[in-house]
Amino acid sequence: MTDPTLIRNFSIIAHIDHGKSTLADRVLQLTHTIEDRDMVEQVLDSMDIERERGITIKAQAVRVLYTADDGVEYTLNLIDTPGHVDFTYEVSRSLQACEGAVLVVDATQGVEAQTVANAIMAMNAHLEIIPLINKIDLPSADPERVRHEIEEALAIPADEAVLASGKTGEGVREALESVVRLVPHPVGDPHAPLKALIFDSFFDAYRGVVALIRVVDGHIKAGMKVSLMAAGTVIDVEEVGVRRPAHVPVDRLGVGEVGYLVTGLKDTSLVKVGDTVTLAKHGATEPLPGYREVKPMVYTGLFPIDGDQYPELRDALDKLRLNDPSVIYEPESSHALGFGFRCGFLGLLHMEIIKERLEREFDLDLLATAPSVEYHIFRTNGEMLSIHSPQDMPEPGTVDHIEEPYLKVTILVPPEFVGAIMELTELHRATFVNMQYLSATTVEMHYEMPLSELIMDFFDQLKSRTRGYASLDYEVTDYRTSALVKLDVLLAGKTVDALSFIVHKDKAFARGKMLTEKLRAIIPRQMFEVAIQAAIGGKIIARETVRAMRKDVIAKCYGGDISRKRKLLEKQKKGKKRMKQVGTIEVPQEAFMAILKVDD
Amino acid sequence: MTDPVVSTPGHGFAPEPVSLYVHVPFCLSKCVYCDFYSETGGEAGFDRFVDAALFEAGHWSHYDLLDDVPTLYIGGGTPTILGEGLVRLVRGLFETARVRSDAEVTVETNPETTYPALVARLVEAGVTRFSLGVQSFDDEVLKTLGRCHDAERARVATRVLRDSGVPFSIDLICGVPGQTNESWDATLEQALACGARHLSVYPLSVEEGTPLAAAIAGGRLPAPDSDVAADMMLAAEVALTVAGLPRYEVASYAQPGHEARHNLVYWTGGSYLGVGPHAASMLTIEQYRRVAEGEGWDPPPESDPAPARARFTREVSLTDYVRRPLAAPVPVEFLSISEAAREDAMLGLRLASGITSAQAEAAGVVEVLARLTEQGLVRVSETPGGHAVWATTEQGWLLGNRVFGAIWLSVQPSRP
Repeated sequence: MTDPTLIRNFSIIAHIDHGKSTLADRVLQLTHTIEDRDMVEQVLDSMDIERERGITIKAQAVRVLYTADDGVEYTLNLIDTPGHVDFTYEVSRSLQACEGAVLVVDATQGVEAQTVANAIMAMNAHLEIIPLINKIDLPSADPERVRHEIEEALAIPADEAVLASGKTGEGVREALESVVRLVPHPVGDPHAPLKALIFDSFFDAYRGVVALIRVVDGHIKAGMKVSLMAAGTVIDVEEVGVRRPAHVPVDRLGVGEVGYLVTGLKDTSLVKVGDTVTLAKHGATEPLPGYREVKPMVYTGLFPIDGDQYPELRDALDKLRLNDPSVIYEPESSHALGFGFRCGFLGLLHMEIIKERLEREFDLDLLATAPSVEYHIFRTNGEMLSIHSPQDMPEPGTVDHIEEPYLKVTILVPPEFVGAIMELTELHRATFVNMQYLSATTVEMHYEMPLSELIMDFFDQLKSRTRGYASLDYEVTDYRTSALVKLDVLLAGKTVDALSFIVHKDKAFARGKMLTEKLRAIIPRQMFEVAIQAAIGGKIIARETVRAMRKDVIAKCYGGDISRKRKLLEKQKKGKKRMKQVGTIEVPQEAFMAILKVDD
Repeated sequence: MTDPVVSTPGHGFAPEPVSLYVHVPFCLSKCVYCDFYSETGGEAGFDRFVDAALFEAGHWSHYDLLDDVPTLYIGGGTPTILGEGLVRLVRGLFETARVRSDAEVTVETNPETTYPALVARLVEAGVTRFSLGVQSFDDEVLKTLGRCHDAERARVATRVLRDSGVPFSIDLICGVPGQTNESWDATLEQALACGARHLSVYPLSVEEGTPLAAAIAGGRLPAPDSDVAADMMLAAEVALTVAGLPRYEVASYAQPGHEARHNLVYWTGGSYLGVGPHAASMLTIEQYRRVAEGEGWDPPPESDPAPARARFTREVSLTDYVRRPLAAPVPVEFLSISEAAREDAMLGLRLASGITSAQAEAAGVVEVLARLTEQGLVRVSETPGGHAVWATTEQGWLLGNRVFGAIWLSVQPSRP
């Protein structure tokens, strides 16, 4: 066990792309946790998809030993957190495991929406915040402006902010000195019953579920019988240890220590982020505060392009869930798309990542339908129905009213784009709350807006209308009544269930019209004319026609080169494979996502 | 059970008919839409090419492949660019190969290289038919296509050919961006008036990597409109049929008796041998085996079902070709009996006469044909002799890829 006074637990928090993972890499090198020759970029982001996209999806913890200027060797636990708003709860639990946070701000970009959101979370967790201005080696770096923004926007004194460059390694040692000097050491009662916080978990094929934990009180060691309080599960501790970043078993983990716990469990969903580990007998009576059940925010239908792959998709989801219990899924069947799953995700990025992992790691071709949120349908008989799919919408006559999730949205943007934001938010049923100047170059705008509108391509639109300058953060606040209707799409007179979506009554006509136009452009000409109609409750509100294809023939037959001709036919056929046969109509995959692009 | 489609004569018995194709890879200039291999400014290499082609043809004749040549086709490129060299080539081929006395001997030509003396010399050497690349009688359209002749030169060329007394065919292209229906009608009218007994009508297709594709991608030219092309194809069919040249294949029209026999070999599964840098060949497996053994090429695979045919297209540069005219083709494609039958069915449906029910059964595509019939792409009729015949409808003609694709891909390709 380590003397708690020599421990510093901290995380690095930042807006995406501000250089968090690169700084973490430098810390690992500086402390010789990883030798230079073994170094790869984004060491802590072990998934391909994390490295490719330059993002962190899974939290990580690594123990480094650092000999400070005072000559004492300190044990630093660096907890790397996901940076995206989809994972806000996970981040909050990771922060709960720390006493301090290094707040990284890009010297060329300044404070952005998730800088603010992360800083506020760190403050709420009562962390000591050490501002660090990164990328000072870039010619366009403006540390003075950024210092000013940190003070203005976050009310954090920044005159002693560390100036650093993850690229050159400059300032990294200063940052660690600040961590040692300013971050309080952990305090806990070594004699009290064990209390440890689970801040992440993952599935190891050989050892089962491994939890990442922070010991608050008492200690934990192999052989103990412990209970996971929220899950109500009792386990025998198989092993505890620390991550450097390879697993190193230790005899025990004591107050303030961060490490891993081999649970021996096979079911990841029993090891919940935010749960408290205590002794099975004579354990703590109160869990650590802040636990909540993670609820999906965004739902989509995932269907195998090749209907025969349904069992493979089920197996893949089962396996993926071992690593990410926040994914939920239930079988869904569609007349148009056959058998698939309705899946719930923490957010759009999460959804995209899971789909991509399913396709890459399990070699599946998947079609995703337009994302939806969870609607609360209050029926005339007083019953409340939660639905995740437009298909489950009951007949309008039986519905009294419908509620949908609302968000508090914060947008940070340079003043010249305020007009563009006003326009965009107007299109998305957002209500303006207020705005304030954080500095001469940054305005913070607050809105209330339905989640269903946010997932309608809002983020891409925001980026394109502000040339990438705007940043966004949000949190779900409540459910509110909205005048919502289900809009159906008919192809050749038949409703295609997978194209239905729920929309505000006032937007229905415009969205229906734009969607049918989009679909006309997307659906290739068939051998017969195809009518595309949008309808609400059987009433047609928009119509477009895809004219019949009249000519498609390789006429030129030259010098007997028939192989070439046949290859062309085979290529045409491959193109068709990427389409979904809906009745007699070939529909490209992108058609099912077209609703997201109707604002273009 | 014997297969009615694939002929498998044994060696050393009767001579086997093998059509001969010679690819002449030279042009005066490249047209913007063309993606066939040819070189411009290659005058210095004409003689070496003719030597190489004659050497190559002579070599294959050792395998008894040229003992009964029913059709000979010299295509390109622009063969007539060779001038007297082409006369030498034709004469040489007649010496090397046993060309049937009633053989169809076609030379492809373009207006700019068609002149009376050469035409006369070629006819004297044994050429029985010319195929002239006119493409259009409209100067604007010719400019868009990047042709190096104008309409007047094309008219002169047709007169030269007509005056030679030998039948000729002309090629036309429709669906060209900027081409109007009036322009197309006028082109059809002049094509009929010029004395051609055979016409090929192609809708313009945009091939990858051509200047045309680049111009369209760059927005300098609109993409061809397939509806416009369909209208023009239909207009051609009406006009040419009325004038006594019914359509007998997707793109081919002829006075009865003037159908292109060489092309019919391609569409009916006959053997053909290609000579030149980019020429395709198809041989029966026995013929291929003889060559492969002699040349040390890959033997046919010991697969089940056994291969019945071999097809190969050599694709080498002119420089490599004149150096090594006998280089082994890569890759060789082997077709089993059922694949060959399926391919014959697919190609047979290019023909207006279609395929017999026996052919359809041999190819295992009767069900597919029934489905295509439901879709209105194919119809079945009875010949006066009481045999059922499957052929494309008008819609099936214009949507031929749907038909060909359904036939060929009715069984997943199983080759490695």
